[in-house]
Amino acid sequence: MRFLIVDDSSTMRRIIINTLNKLGHQDVAEAGNGREGLDRLSSGGPVDVIITDWNMPEMSGIDFIRTVRSMPDIKDTPVLMVTTNAAKDDIVEALKAGVNSYVVKPFTPDTMKEKIEAVLAR
Amino acid sequence: MPPIAAIENLFIEELTAATRDVFKTMVFQEVEASSPITGDALRPGANVVGTVAFAGKTSGLVVFYSTMEAAQMITASMLGIEPASVNGELHDAIGELTNMIAGSFRTRMAHAKGETWAISVPTVTVGSDFYTKYVSDVQRVLCPFRMNTAELFVELIVTRSAGQ
Repeated sequence: MRFLIVDDSSTMRRIIINTLNKLGHQDVAEAGNGREGLDRLSSGGPVDVIITDWNMPEMSGIDFIRTVRSMPDIKDTPVLMVTTNAAKDDIVEALKAGVNSYVVKPFTPDTMKEKIEAVLAR
Repeated sequence: MPPIAAIENLFIEELTAATRDVFKTMVFQEVEASSPITGDALRPGANVVGTVAFAGKTSGLVVFYSTMEAAQMITASMLGIEPASVNGELHDAIGELTNMIAGSFRTRMAHAKGETWAISVPTVTVGSDFYTKYVSDVQRVLCPFRMNTAELFVELIVTRSAGQ
């Protein structure tokens, strides 16, 4: 099972990696924004789950997901968004862009585990 | 322009709750809150300052203050490493911590008052012998916290109140 974490905060990437490691997932790739995420997907091979932030420089999480959903080879990859944007309108926008599940920061490890398992069970 | 209204207790309660929640869930540490201090009575002696601005009906800043030692402990705890191993990660960790406190505060105020705010990206200042002075009329409240033996502060600075 291969994960791609797209977040401009190295701290948040490490927190998510630590959570994934505790859940038994060791194969994790990282990217610092949506553009780097697309590069990773192009050059690093397919991933099983994408976990992305919303607010990032160069390419936001929303634009990243819209691009992923337009690419035939990877358009069905499950996507989990992790963000501080918790307004109802934000969640609706993310779901419309193609997000499968949504985690609002701050989150507990149990919440992250639950959301990852839900995305994987799709 | 009329003077900025005094900060409501609701803001202080929600900021305190947001700070507690972020420390418990993302820093894996409990923090104990003390009585908030209003006005310019106390300026925390801090080497690390994280700032996030918010704008909406109410606008202002959420500011996190700590010593370098406390910031290293916080960073280490967030990353799951030893404090002595903290090297270049401190700025990003404190920025993310401040971002989550401000973001959680924004969510809580949206539920409590129906206000929708935009928030900025965080900025982090590290150094000594500096202070921040606001040239415009502001209201401020400083919320002290204790994490083990370390003193931390979260300040709310309001530059525009709802209705102004």
